[in-house]
Amino acid sequence: MTETETVPADPGNRAADAAIHVEEVSKRYGTRQALDGVSLQVGRGEFFGLLGPNGAGKTTLVEIMEGLRQTDSGTVSVLGTAPWPRNVALLPRLGVQTQSSAFFVRQKAHEHLATVAALYGADRGAVDRTLQTVALVDQRDTRVENLSGGQRQRLAIASALVHEPELIFLDEPTAALDPQARRDLWDVLHGLKEAGRTIVYTTHHLDEAEALCDRVAILVEGRIAALDSPRGLVGAAGAATSLLLPPERMTVAEAEAIPGVDRAVLRGGSLVLETQVSGKVLSALDALGGLDGVQTRTATLEDVYLRLTSDAGHRTTQNTENTENQA
Amino acid sequence: MSAYGALTAAGYRAQVRDAATLFFTFAFPLVFLVVFGLIFSGQEVEETGRPYISYIAPGVMSWGVGNAAVFGIAFTLMQWRRDDLLRLIRMTPTSLPTVLASRYVLALAVGVVQAVVFIAVALLPLFGLELDSRWPLALPVLLLGITAFLSIGVIIGSYADTPEAVAAIANFLMVPMAFLSGSFLPLDMMPSWLQTVSRVLPLRYFNDAVSASLTGSGSLGDIAVGCGALIGFTVVFAAIGLKTFRWSNRT
Repeated sequence: MTETETVPADPGNRAADAAIHVEEVSKRYGTRQALDGVSLQVGRGEFFGLLGPNGAGKTTLVEIMEGLRQTDSGTVSVLGTAPWPRNVALLPRLGVQTQSSAFFVRQKAHEHLATVAALYGADRGAVDRTLQTVALVDQRDTRVENLSGGQRQRLAIASALVHEPELIFLDEPTAALDPQARRDLWDVLHGLKEAGRTIVYTTHHLDEAEALCDRVAILVEGRIAALDSPRGLVGAAGAATSLLLPPERMTVAEAEAIPGVDRAVLRGGSLVLETQVSGKVLSALDALGGLDGVQTRTATLEDVYLRLTSDAGHRTTQNTENTENQA
Repeated sequence: MSAYGALTAAGYRAQVRDAATLFFTFAFPLVFLVVFGLIFSGQEVEETGRPYISYIAPGVMSWGVGNAAVFGIAFTLMQWRRDDLLRLIRMTPTSLPTVLASRYVLALAVGVVQAVVFIAVALLPLFGLELDSRWPLALPVLLLGITAFLSIGVIIGSYADTPEAVAAIANFLMVPMAFLSGSFLPLDMMPSWLQTVSRVLPLRYFNDAVSASLTGSGSLGDIAVGCGALIGFTVVFAAIGLKTFRWSNRT
């Protein structure tokens, strides 16, 4: 009894229970270090976002987790087993969104999906169920070549879902979708999460990551720059709240003199005051002439993301500046 | 449905829905039959006294069948890899032999239909082919020939990344091989050293065995030798093919 109670507290066993366990994984292509000591865990039932600029190593990391690539060093465990080399017992438990080009030629949508279902050994009923899920019932008998961009993308997502996998990898699934289709897909994804599936989600849409993901990892130059819940990241980053004022209200110097204002700049036709204590600054502004025309903008995941990713890009420049300041 | 059955069905649908390619697959060898048949109509080969058609019909047929087998699988593999369809298959538990087996049965079907259409035309009085009584032996020869050329196609399809490369490499191999193996011109007309050189070419054995079974131009032993050589080529090319096979262009 005591033992069973202590098990969840043991980090080692928690690792074994994770859907994905990546430890100190590195991968190099020629002279380029694509991944540099990446460690992360994705819990079962978790909706995990993977963010980062192009070339940050997202695709490599996902392909390693999918078992499409071998690591140079480090260990990877997916659903309790090693994905590399090609692990035939593991594959039916994974669902991978395919490229929107990866269709069997001259097939109707349902024929393509039925072929994929058969490759996974899924039952035939799964095809119509999945077409329903991704709202392609009306395109059932349309040739894959004649589908629109958004429809192709939904069929590619259907290929990842048709065999009801435990762990689903989605790569930019909303990229070619219109706003309505995008929201519809969010509903599908919420449904999958409620059904207990684990989802690894690569995206450039930060609003999407913020709305959907339990946790996100931000990958920059092959390393994990941040890993937390979107809320936790925004909070921990200590990202400033911005107060936007009409520029004629005061000068930059006057604004910076207000207690609590960290920085004031003119940007986009507004005087922007950055602060960690927005309440205090707002009451000071109120006293200085009212709050008419004052807008508040709180930090989002996008701010955190942009700061982390641009930090990396300008690291050298900043180092120089710091040295100068010290001197 | 099994993975094999589903892949074969999808391949069959893709084939019959592409009417132009299907038509020209069957028309291509026939064009050569018509051209050479008309040029050499009624003529006999001086060295042997046998009618020209008895050389050319089996030769063009085995070349046409081999050509279709090479191009078919090579284009498919190149395209599937380029479109990431092989990556999709790679992520399913379906094995590579299952994938290749489905393409194999489609290639056999195409080849047999090609041969039947071709022989039916060659038997017309205009061309005047006469079948030997042991013509049914051409069927196993055909199956072995398609298998050998399919394994060559696997190598080309694994190596080439573009349709242009597939066409260039396949033509580079298949056109000179057709001449050197006696598909278009009777080998009996060629210098003896060239006839010796042709012994390293799979098409030479395919031609000889098809010719021996259809027109009775050789002994049963010739058919056996041809079949044995085709099996040998298949083993070698299939081993290379499986070694060069790639699931993706990116790894």
